Amino acid sequence: MDLSVPPDITFVVLTTITLLAAIMALQAKELIYGAISLGISFIGIAGFFVSLDAPYLGMLQIAVYVGAVVVLILFTIMLVRREEVDKDETGETGESAAGLWLAGLLAVSIAGIAALAGPNLPTTPPEANLPISQLGAVLAGAYPVPLIILALLLSAALLGALVLAKVDR
Amino acid sequence: MVNLPTTPTDIIPFIIAIVTSHTFITLVIFPGFIHLTIVVMFLTWYERKLLARIQLRIGPLYAGGPGGILQPIADGVKLIFKEIMIPYKAEKPLFLGIPLALVFLGALPFAVIPFGQHWVIADLDVGLVFIFAVASLFPSMILIFAWASNSKYPFLGGLRSLFQQVAYEIPMWISALSVVMLAGSLNLVQIVDAQHKIWFIGPAFLSFIVFFIATMAELERLPFDLPSAEPELVAGWFTESSGAVFMVIFLALYMKLYLMSSLITVLFLGGWWGPTFLPQPVWFILKTLVVATAIIIPRGVYARLRVDLLIKVGWTRLLIIALVNVFITVVLVSTGMLPGLGL
Repeated sequence: MDLSVPPDITFVVLTTITLLAAIMALQAKELIYGAISLGISFIGIAGFFVSLDAPYLGMLQIAVYVGAVVVLILFTIMLVRREEVDKDETGETGESAAGLWLAGLLAVSIAGIAALAGPNLPTTPPEANLPISQLGAVLAGAYPVPLIILALLLSAALLGALVLAKVDR
Repeated sequence: MVNLPTTPTDIIPFIIAIVTSHTFITLVIFPGFIHLTIVVMFLTWYERKLLARIQLRIGPLYAGGPGGILQPIADGVKLIFKEIMIPYKAEKPLFLGIPLALVFLGALPFAVIPFGQHWVIADLDVGLVFIFAVASLFPSMILIFAWASNSKYPFLGGLRSLFQQVAYEIPMWISALSVVMLAGSLNLVQIVDAQHKIWFIGPAFLSFIVFFIATMAELERLPFDLPSAEPELVAGWFTESSGAVFMVIFLALYMKLYLMSSLITVLFLGGWWGPTFLPQPVWFILKTLVVATAIIIPRGVYARLRVDLLIKVGWTRLLIIALVNVFITVVLVSTGMLPGLGL
């Protein structure tokens, strides 16, 4: 790191806000304040996107993470009672072994796809401040494989959430 | 760009240069703070007067001016001098801070709303997404405020407000999608520019209907006023607010009303376009007031929807109609009947 160059003031301010809010989110005694700090931290990350000439991503960051994810977290905090969260789940069967196997399989296949597609990815980043119509073209044209891997990860997370939330009757 | 003053005699020209600069005028006078404050105060009086006329009453009368038009000022003074009651064991910082945040969030999107070809504070390329992002913060703020009140009525109202606003955001922004396809841009100035020949209410009529209904739900206006149900929840999520806190929330609500009306004007009613005998901002404000009137009138006419009907309308009717209109728009644009993205 070159210390002779004075740091960008926007970057310093954004980093401070984001990191402080992230620490607050973990340390807050009241869960609500934790959720609010998490929202502020997300807004800080959106600020990074805007300062990196990607305003569209920044706006989507606010809309999706602060507008939807934080709302979900708040909702959960307010509606679920504490003792239900803290309840210990110890139902050890063959499920955890199968889960580990499947997770390993997913990891190996993702790594395989990435290794196969890696050499074909463009080495130069796309130019900054792309128009939104070209953003889609770049994402689907030059980076289809990372897009598919992200989709796989998201669907795996969704399935995992389903398994965690399943209640045996 | 104005140079900083070096000698005392330069200070007055410096101030004049700043005050007459385009940035200062758009930010502070029009369409910035002063204009917003005046219009929002006018809207509070206008709604009371209009509802009174619908119900064969007279409405505000004694505060001075024609038809008691100075009533908002009297209301403001009264509310400022009232005591701020903070409920027992309420979260004080949130209870006092969230209303201010609501006003800030209500005023922020006006930075990208074009009131005329050159009357816009920030000509942002992602203006529509910016408004989308800011508007998506409202439900969480309302829920936090309702929770911070430490009372059952606000909490019920806050939960209702949350699920209603989250449910109606989806058809709302999907119907805005067909406008984006027709204009080929997310920039609000370019969206209005594209309506020079034909207003988008024509090719995207279904979207307009969906957007309008979803706007009513977002604003918690009758027939969608479950979150602030006056007979049962007594103003819903802001039951516990009083004095200046109530005034600030009231301001935020009317600012949101003005914001959504002007957004409908931008997206569907051709923004500033109109015959040239009136300047552009006048056309814009006239159209916006017509939309605001259309949003206010049902309050004097309709009864409230039930919760199950609200959800059914949102998810099974509006969403489908909005998607149908997106399909129609794709056909219109891709067959070249209307200019657009050039798919």
